[in-house]
Amino acid sequence: MRPFKFTTVSDISSATKSVAGKPNARFLAGGTNLLDLMKEDVERPEELIDITRLSLIQIKPLTEGANKGGISIGALGKNTNAANHPLIRQNYPLLAQAILAGASGQIRNMATNGGNLLQRTRCPYFYDVAMPCNKREPGEQPGCGAREGINRMHAIFGWSEKCVAVHPSDMAVALAALDAVVKVRSASGPERIIALADFHRLPEDRPEIDTNLRPGELITAIELPKNRFAEKSYYLKVRDRSSYAFALISVAAALELDGNRIVQARIALGGVAHKPWRALKAEQLLVGQEATEVNFKRAAEAEMADAKPLEHNAFKVELGKRSIVRALQVAFTGNRS
Amino acid sequence: MQEKNKVTGTPVSRIDGILKVTGKAAYATDYPVKNIAYAVLFKSTIAAGTIRSIDTGPAEKSPGVLAVITHKNAPKLKTDGGIRGGALLQSPKIEFHGQHIGLVVAETYEQARHAARLVKVEYDKSEAKVDFEKLSKEAVLPEDKEKADAKRGDAKAALQNAEFKVEAVYGTPIEHHHPLEPHSTIAEWQGEKVILYNSSQIVNGAQNAAAATLNIKTENVRIVSPYIGGGFGSKGGQWANLVLTAVAAKVVNRPVKLALTRQQMVNSVGLRQQNHQKVSLAATKDGKLTALAHETTTHCAIENEFVEPCGDCSKIMYEVPNSLITYRVVPMNLILPTYTRGPGKSTGSFALESAVDELAYQLKMDPIELRLKNEPTRDPSNGKPWSSRTTVQCLQEGAKAFGWEKRKAEPRQNQQGNFLMGHGVACGTYPAHQRPSSARVSLNRKGNAITARVELAAADLGTGTHTILAQTAADALGLPLNQITVKLGDSDLPPAAGSVGSVGASSYANAVHDVCVKLTDELIAKSGKQFFVRPTAAQLMVSENVADYQTRVDAKPPANADQYSSHSFNANFAEVRVDIATGMVRVTRFLAVTGAGKILNPKTARSQIIGGNVWGIGMALTEESVVDPRWGNFVTRSFGDYHVPANLDIGAMEAIFIREDDRVSNALGVKGIGEVGIVGVAAAVANAVFNATGKRIRELPITPDKLL
Repeated sequence: MRPFKFTTVSDISSATKSVAGKPNARFLAGGTNLLDLMKEDVERPEELIDITRLSLIQIKPLTEGANKGGISIGALGKNTNAANHPLIRQNYPLLAQAILAGASGQIRNMATNGGNLLQRTRCPYFYDVAMPCNKREPGEQPGCGAREGINRMHAIFGWSEKCVAVHPSDMAVALAALDAVVKVRSASGPERIIALADFHRLPEDRPEIDTNLRPGELITAIELPKNRFAEKSYYLKVRDRSSYAFALISVAAALELDGNRIVQARIALGGVAHKPWRALKAEQLLVGQEATEVNFKRAAEAEMADAKPLEHNAFKVELGKRSIVRALQVAFTGNRS
Repeated sequence: MQEKNKVTGTPVSRIDGILKVTGKAAYATDYPVKNIAYAVLFKSTIAAGTIRSIDTGPAEKSPGVLAVITHKNAPKLKTDGGIRGGALLQSPKIEFHGQHIGLVVAETYEQARHAARLVKVEYDKSEAKVDFEKLSKEAVLPEDKEKADAKRGDAKAALQNAEFKVEAVYGTPIEHHHPLEPHSTIAEWQGEKVILYNSSQIVNGAQNAAAATLNIKTENVRIVSPYIGGGFGSKGGQWANLVLTAVAAKVVNRPVKLALTRQQMVNSVGLRQQNHQKVSLAATKDGKLTALAHETTTHCAIENEFVEPCGDCSKIMYEVPNSLITYRVVPMNLILPTYTRGPGKSTGSFALESAVDELAYQLKMDPIELRLKNEPTRDPSNGKPWSSRTTVQCLQEGAKAFGWEKRKAEPRQNQQGNFLMGHGVACGTYPAHQRPSSARVSLNRKGNAITARVELAAADLGTGTHTILAQTAADALGLPLNQITVKLGDSDLPPAAGSVGSVGASSYANAVHDVCVKLTDELIAKSGKQFFVRPTAAQLMVSENVADYQTRVDAKPPANADQYSSHSFNANFAEVRVDIATGMVRVTRFLAVTGAGKILNPKTARSQIIGGNVWGIGMALTEESVVDPRWGNFVTRSFGDYHVPANLDIGAMEAIFIREDDRVSNALGVKGIGEVGIVGVAAAVANAVFNATGKRIRELPITPDKLL
């Protein structure tokens, strides 16, 4: 890898100061993605700022503020701890399931909650510096290798001619469904709060920019509002291998019911777009309806009607419909088998 | 020694297990060679053409760099010295994407890797032949005489007139071996002599190839390879990285270490070729096969041919009067394909055993019954008697153990909640050969304590070779197991066959047995006494007051071995669970019943069979190396993209061995189990998927999208 400067910081303000005005500096947390990318010469930071000593690991109930009754998840807590934390297992089992569906045990032990949101796409053209990729080489506009290439794993929603990559996170899909917000700090200005649904962006003309984080901003926590979804939620991940494989399609589904009538529904899809894809159309169709297979199907079909598959991933449209229905059924009945 | 006291045939734990789990077993890059420098290869980014210019200036000036070696300054090497796959930096010609075009040697690995990226290369591109789907139509007869069209009777005519027939094309993708230990080498020159610490499945083969390619005497190359972190065929033949490490060490006049990265593995050390296999079966309505045609189309490298023998199982598995086995091959701008676990048999059995299952369904006949009806009494390909054949026992004992009678004959009849359950069976086979191997044994006595040292240039792939040879020697010498030291994997030791083609166990164990018997004979002769009961070597060392004794043998296969057809056989039973909505398949139960002669160690043997089964399940469900047909690059370069099965993919695994005493194959009756464990596995899984879903998937792997 390229030579780089290594800086260690011990608190939030020195972290944000260290990175201010340095577009080629990166925070280093778990390193499970960044270091891989540096070894492959995809990421070329001139400076790594080690933030692992910051005390941002707590998971705690929120007793005040907009998300009172919800929880705060420290950005530097490990994925494994988040998945196993009693507050998350009891109140947000959808999130625990999603985290455990991602990566492998070893990676989850290293990966942090904030870092999970910032992981880069696993598009093979992005990862291979011999291949063209607008996300990796934005200035030169070399083209998108996947657009006309091998794109079985790629997007069916929201892609652009510049980029058809998908966001790889499972955790973020559940967070999108659960209306999470991301708290960020920077050297200048007050704390900023970004809704998870607005955190990642679509590729459009600037695929090199994955998120709406501004330069120099540090994620400090993820907050989840209180909700009534804990009883009726399910994370379904369809993949080529049972573990350590990225989603062909994943569905985070959550229902709040009054008897059999749906009061609120949350559906987010993974493996289909450059960001966790909130299935708002499907959600709206479900609200006020009975929780039946017919209604689930109608909602799923409406959502997937807008899909624009590429050469090798047309199967994701049908798979998406089936997966939404299955995830809603499991969320509703609790019966996975 | 009485049978009951023998350690051979007992489930002894690996004698090198503690060394491995405590990190004391040294693999190729683990040797603490002093003053070492690090080499990193850099590779072409086109698939066909020539290098127009190569600017190594910035790399040479980069901190820590000792040398940059390309075709412009590389020492002259012999390109036909036995190194597979070319890429020896002898010309500017590019024949595949990711061909080595140079290497950087530096003080540290990081410095070398960084500098390698500073090399600027310009190419003159020519049209690359990388789209197999298109090129397969241009395939021609291979040069390899063993791949000539093999005809018996008239299969085409019999197929035309058949009452029942199956004609289908089965596709298997490129696969990679991906052993956990990537190929790695340390080269250290000592005057004219070079020591190569290198992961080698054929120790003497690596020695010969390195010496010939470097244009030095064979005795000036020493290969040290006591432990190997998996090879699966990719460390059988040796590739450019071995010799280039020696070249780098010569150029910088220091020891050099070169380890491939996982991403570099896809175009450095061979692959399992992609195959289109057309299998045609004809049968009477009572299930007697009347014709079998197995026509394989595949690809090889531009300059070198390699064609895995996909038709081999079809030659011998069934009694059929009309048979046709053919191969066609098209050269492509991809790295040379090579031997890959169960070469030809694992992929070929997928096609054949799927077709047999299709025929059974058409005939409304149990697929086991169909196989039993076509069991050959002699090898149909050459008329030779079997040394032994266990297909019938494997099927019958397997059916019983697996609960085959509970299987529903019709698909989609076994739904459990969200899942369809299915059961499938498929057979497999692999040849059993002993190859010449030498061995030395040395006994040492201190008082009444006797220790033995067994030495040969054998290779232990991690499968337990050290252990089975210690067991063999312990019994043959009359010593306890813990008094035996086994030293393998060094070309300074007596030469031995490779650990390839399932010949390792039989070749090595027979050599070790022979040398121990010879040593005992010599001690008896030396004593000048007559014994009513043959004493053991251990007893003789004491009674004859011998302090040290050593002997050596050059063991050869039995003289009449080629009068028989010798093979291991198996039957595989798979239970799958298919998610109706998502198409995800899980193998919930798998049973392999294997007849592989004498099992020297049921514990390590079981592990090896299960290992083969797991790869077979990977072949069936998850593994595929994908080439971008525009550029010839692999898009599946890491374990995140190339899906080797994970623990969660594997359900309950069971391995049963058929007891057999086949002394025709070789004196000990050891047949080898390295390859047969993967043969027939993918077909058993695919047949189970059909039984579950009614969908016949003929293109592996069976990923969820194919079952929607």
